[in-house]
Amino acid sequence: MSSEASNSNDPVIRCENVFKIFGDNAKRMMKESGGEVDAAKFQEQGCIVGVNNASFDVHPGELLIIMGLSGSGKSTLLRCISRLTDATAGKIFIEGEDILKMNNKQLIQLRRSKMGMVFQSFALLPHKTVLENIAFPLQVKGVSTDDSIKRAGEMMELVSLSGRENYFPRELSGGQQQRVGIARSLAIEPDIWFLDEPFSALDPLIRKEMQDEFLRLQGVLSKTILFVTHDFDEALRLADRIAIMKDGIIEQLDTPANIVLNPATEYVRKFTEEVPREKVLKIETVMDPVNPADPVSDIKVSKDAIIESVAEVVLNSSKPVSVIDSTGAIVGAVHASKVVHLLFGGHSKETSGQLS
Amino acid sequence: MMELLREHKYLQFMLLIAVFLLMCMFVPATDGSWLWRLPPLFKQLPLMINNSVDFLMFEWWLVDVYDPDIEEYEKQPVMRQVTRGISGFILFLIEFVRELILGGVKTIVTFTSWDWATENPWARWPGLPWTVVAGGAAILGYRLSGIGLALFAGFTFVYIAIFGQWEPSMQTLSFVLIAAPMAILIGLALGVCAYKSKTVETILNPLLNIAQIMPHFSYLIPVMVFFGIGDHAGAIATIIFATPPMVRLTLLGLKKVSPEVAEAGRMAGCTDRQLMRRVLIPTARRDILIGVNQVIMQCLAMVVIASLIGAKGLGNDLLIALNRLRIGLALEIGVCIVLIAIVLDRLSLAWANKQTDYFADQSFKQRHKHSIWFMGVFLAGVVLAWIGSLVFKEGFNYLYLIPHNKGLTTGPFWQAGVDWLWDTFFYTLKGFNEWFIVDVLIPVKTAFLAMPVVATFTLAMGTGFIVGGIRSALIVGGYLLFIALTEWWDRALITSYLMTMAVLISGLIGIVAGTLCAQHPRAARWLLVWCDTFQTFPSFIYLIPVMMLFGVTDTSVLIAIVVYATIPAARYTVVGLQSVPEQLHDAGSMAGVNRFQRYLSIELPMSFPHMALGINQTVVFALAMVIIGALIGTDDLGQLILGAISEKQGVGNGLVLGFCVAFIGLAIDQILRTWANQRKAALGLE
Amino acid sequence: MKLRTPKSLRTLAVASAIALTSFTGVAKAADSTQPIVIPIHNWSSQVVMAYVLGGMFESMGNNVEYVPADSQAVYESIRNGDVTLSHEVWQSTFGKSFYNAMAKGGVIDAGTHSATTLEEMGVPTWVIEQDLCPGLPNWEALKDCHEAFATADSGGKGRWLEGPQSWHGNLMPERLEALGLADNWTVKFAGGADALWTELASAKKEGRATIVFNWTPNFTDAEGFTFIEFPEYTPGCRKEDGGDGKCGSPKGWLKKAANYKFPKTHPAAYTAFSKLDFTTTQIGEMAALVDIEKMDHKDAAAKWLADNEAVWMPWVK
Ligand SMILES: Nc1ncnc2c1ncn2[C@@H]1O[C@H](COP(=O)(O)OP(=O)(O)O)[C@@H](O)[C@H]1O
Ligand SMILES: [Mg+2]
Repeated sequence: MSSEASNSNDPVIRCENVFKIFGDNAKRMMKESGGEVDAAKFQEQGCIVGVNNASFDVHPGELLIIMGLSGSGKSTLLRCISRLTDATAGKIFIEGEDILKMNNKQLIQLRRSKMGMVFQSFALLPHKTVLENIAFPLQVKGVSTDDSIKRAGEMMELVSLSGRENYFPRELSGGQQQRVGIARSLAIEPDIWFLDEPFSALDPLIRKEMQDEFLRLQGVLSKTILFVTHDFDEALRLADRIAIMKDGIIEQLDTPANIVLNPATEYVRKFTEEVPREKVLKIETVMDPVNPADPVSDIKVSKDAIIESVAEVVLNSSKPVSVIDSTGAIVGAVHASKVVHLLFGGHSKETSGQLS
Repeated sequence: MMELLREHKYLQFMLLIAVFLLMCMFVPATDGSWLWRLPPLFKQLPLMINNSVDFLMFEWWLVDVYDPDIEEYEKQPVMRQVTRGISGFILFLIEFVRELILGGVKTIVTFTSWDWATENPWARWPGLPWTVVAGGAAILGYRLSGIGLALFAGFTFVYIAIFGQWEPSMQTLSFVLIAAPMAILIGLALGVCAYKSKTVETILNPLLNIAQIMPHFSYLIPVMVFFGIGDHAGAIATIIFATPPMVRLTLLGLKKVSPEVAEAGRMAGCTDRQLMRRVLIPTARRDILIGVNQVIMQCLAMVVIASLIGAKGLGNDLLIALNRLRIGLALEIGVCIVLIAIVLDRLSLAWANKQTDYFADQSFKQRHKHSIWFMGVFLAGVVLAWIGSLVFKEGFNYLYLIPHNKGLTTGPFWQAGVDWLWDTFFYTLKGFNEWFIVDVLIPVKTAFLAMPVVATFTLAMGTGFIVGGIRSALIVGGYLLFIALTEWWDRALITSYLMTMAVLISGLIGIVAGTLCAQHPRAARWLLVWCDTFQTFPSFIYLIPVMMLFGVTDTSVLIAIVVYATIPAARYTVVGLQSVPEQLHDAGSMAGVNRFQRYLSIELPMSFPHMALGINQTVVFALAMVIIGALIGTDDLGQLILGAISEKQGVGNGLVLGFCVAFIGLAIDQILRTWANQRKAALGLE
Repeated sequence: MKLRTPKSLRTLAVASAIALTSFTGVAKAADSTQPIVIPIHNWSSQVVMAYVLGGMFESMGNNVEYVPADSQAVYESIRNGDVTLSHEVWQSTFGKSFYNAMAKGGVIDAGTHSATTLEEMGVPTWVIEQDLCPGLPNWEALKDCHEAFATADSGGKGRWLEGPQSWHGNLMPERLEALGLADNWTVKFAGGADALWTELASAKKEGRATIVFNWTPNFTDAEGFTFIEFPEYTPGCRKEDGGDGKCGSPKGWLKKAANYKFPKTHPAAYTAFSKLDFTTTQIGEMAALVDIEKMDHKDAAAKWLADNEAVWMPWVK
């Protein structure tokens, strides 16, 4: 789940100076601006700036979250990358290929083999049963009915919906519908997975459940993921890296911890101000190097664990707790005092110093 | 003062009315004065249209074509060859379906020749026994939906058979089975084009309006000139009439599909075609299916008119029955038409809603059980027919085909009903009729005719301006100008008078009935079934009883129009009221208002845009019925359209008169639609 | 206008021409097997006669097809060759359409029946029997009894219910004017025949006097219908022909019309058609089979053909 785990360094998705401007004379205005787009000026001319000069890479197996308030251009960015809409300027590479240069046929081929997308409003086909909805991308591809239905059945199992094959979307709850949406987007085994606010339409309890489900799936599948949300908590739970957008501009793109600890702009700072640190920081940011002299407790926590999730264990332990990496080797120890400091002591310079 | 005026539209409107009245009072009715009536500058237009059509059809691009019948080369215009080619194709389809059911020789002739078929008399397709067709319909109903539809479809065909309407009904059915799918496909295709291209939509919109409002009589002759006479001509006229609602509803449905669903389709890797066929159209199908329903209803509503240009079947029988005032028989035929309409509608709905079950592991026998059943029914039917041929010696094999008028008849029953109506109400209604004519209709008509043309323009364009600004005013003015420049302005005023009265009455009845029925879901459902019935039930039939009760007067004309024009008013009212969000009801109830207050203050305003469109459709329906009114006897545009059929420049006259009627409708449509859209926007419904 | 024929089309035509001349050369006089298209309108005698005619043609070995058609519009179709013929062309109702089509070319006059027709204003006979307007059927009686014929919408005047205006234009209003009746009488144009018959039925029910346009032979003959006796018709007496307009309707003809190719494609059938000649009585018989004996049109035609072989056999020989 973490980018460091991947050894390939070629980005799966690469955006270079991507702009998306809505409006009749968008192209002309774009040319005239010479790469310096001022949203207010454009607005006067009847153009709306959706994405403003976005450049970033996404690496294989990475989960990049795009965050921002409603209307900040998250969906538009996602749609540019999946080429549901054509970017006004810039370059977008998928596995090294410039998708803006692709013709319709290549594009369809790309979508049929590499991409899956989940939508906020589920976007299921109302006239098809759950099973048919999931089989749909396969059937569109030309997979035979029997095979596609069989595969769809497997997908149903994956999202724990077995038994409801012949239901219609309208007969399912929101959470169940989104499971169908997820199953459908995964049916062709895409490498790249787009999710546009997949859980925003669900109530908080179900949302939590679906996030767990999502993490479980990602654990199994490890895809390259672009995930849009406007919910910071969600972003923190899931992200490898987070991009924060405002008025089409990516204000900052970094790991959750860095965003919280070192906001790049005033906007990001305001945005992250209220975020409790323990929800962002991993244990490794507060651990001390292993000191063989120190007595440690038998309890072990993962260095990737978010502090909040293990705080209770650490605080209840009389001795420092061991920290292990993914292979199980002990890489450090964490003292309750550090956690207390973080939880109750306000901003701490020294912890940030240990970062990166 | 100016401020006030700008603020309040109703003040503007009052001012407009005042100006209008002043003009009516002070513009003198002198011939030759342009303020009173415009000069008929377009007088030559019909002739020009006529000449162009003649040129196109008879003179343009002649080629030598050999006519084997007279063993000579003949100069034939290419246009004619093309249109006759189309005719031949449609006719072949209709005859093919017809001969599958009724038997015949034309399909065989298509692949051989009349010479061959005459020399080989054995080569005649025999036709199916009615038992097989009825059984087949029941099986189809069962397969598509279940036992209920099976019973209904079976019942319909048995009814038709044993009441001796088999042959004409099957002729009508075969006609509709080709015309309706063609209208549906064309409508779907045009709807899709309009969805894809804004330009197409802009061009299509007025054309659809015209096709829908223009009385069918006015394009009967052009269709006849271009395509000849016969079932195909009837089918073409029917398609022109039935396609517009299909296009409209397809477009509406496609536009309503959420963009995310379309994106989901594209992300699934759909090509453009797959996206349209497998995502957009199925998702929009609620509206598209309403379109299909409307096509089927309109097709059957056209059965009678189509028979005037050669469509065989129930339509012509109906006209013959009516010509002898045999209302019982006519009603029986009407029932057949309505039954066919409803069966086709339900079957097509069921077909569209059919689902496949991928899990039922079926054996060959199970999978093909319906085909096997049909084979069984087929064999049984044939055997029965064979037995019948032994039993019924006197020439009619009742188990094969019950001949026309040899079945049972409900005619006397209906006739008795009509007689009872007549006996019971004749004298009661006479007084009302006289009062209505003398004190209401004649004064209104006189008032309409006394309007100077400048006053009419001021009123119409002024209303357009108040509602939709300068653009609406110009559009409305343009429509009126066309009419004013023909020589039929006075006739158009009479048409407007009839239409105004009809719309007032229909609107009132429709909205009241719709409102009352909308309070109970079941009543609402019933009202909609009634709407379907009256939309397909040939208006020709109730013309006679109405004329019996009210004489050959404008009252009869109005009633005939009102019966038909009330349908959309009622339908849209119900739909509008039902679409008022539930929360608003609750909010109203919480605020402590009583039911009637709630209706007035919440439901009525909220469903107003729907009702306005309902009234708009009422106008359309009323104008479409102008021609039916003419069959009773009016002195308006409709009368002239009827007359165009026998005239030298019938094509031109028919079309121009048709345009006049259509333009009245379009002018009103422009104002009502703009207004409704504004209300919609204001209420945040769009 | 002379234009190059597409080559393929011409080759095809020539080829078939050769094939056909060599083939049909032997039996030159034989009728084409193409069906003869007979129109069906909406009144009984016409429909029965259509089937009678069809039966005759079939007995000669011809193929026949029936097509429903509007009785006014049918002449345009005959002209275009979509319909082969029309066997009941009434002078006053269809004369105009018939001659219009003939003037455009493509329609020929295929002779006249012996039956004469009368199309005129008249009253149900019981109106005279009950003496609702003393002096009828003489037209002069109308001078004094317009009140008996007034209706709600006639503004106190007596009302003539005329057929649709497309039938005879302004003939009746002009006649009222010419006869000096216009002050007390007005003309209402009905929309169609149905309206005329309903008016008859409703007037009878009410016991109200009525004047309607009607014709004979017609099914209304059975119930009794009396035509008003106007000053005799003389050629040129009508306003439109330059006369003073003070005259009634002439005894009308009943013609037959055909497409101009009919004699060439079906010489034998055309000969029979041109000989076809019905009298008023025969037409009445055919109508009565349906209207009074309530037979189906086809059955009525079959019965008539069976009963009257002596009449029609000579025509088809
Ligand atoms: N098709 C469109 N036409 C014009 N403007 C659009 C369109 N789609 C989005 N926008 C505008 O672009 C901006 C970004 O929208 P979006 O990407 O949907 O925001 P988000 O997903 O972050 O809520 C908004 O101001 C929106 O109004
Ligand atoms: Mg969004």
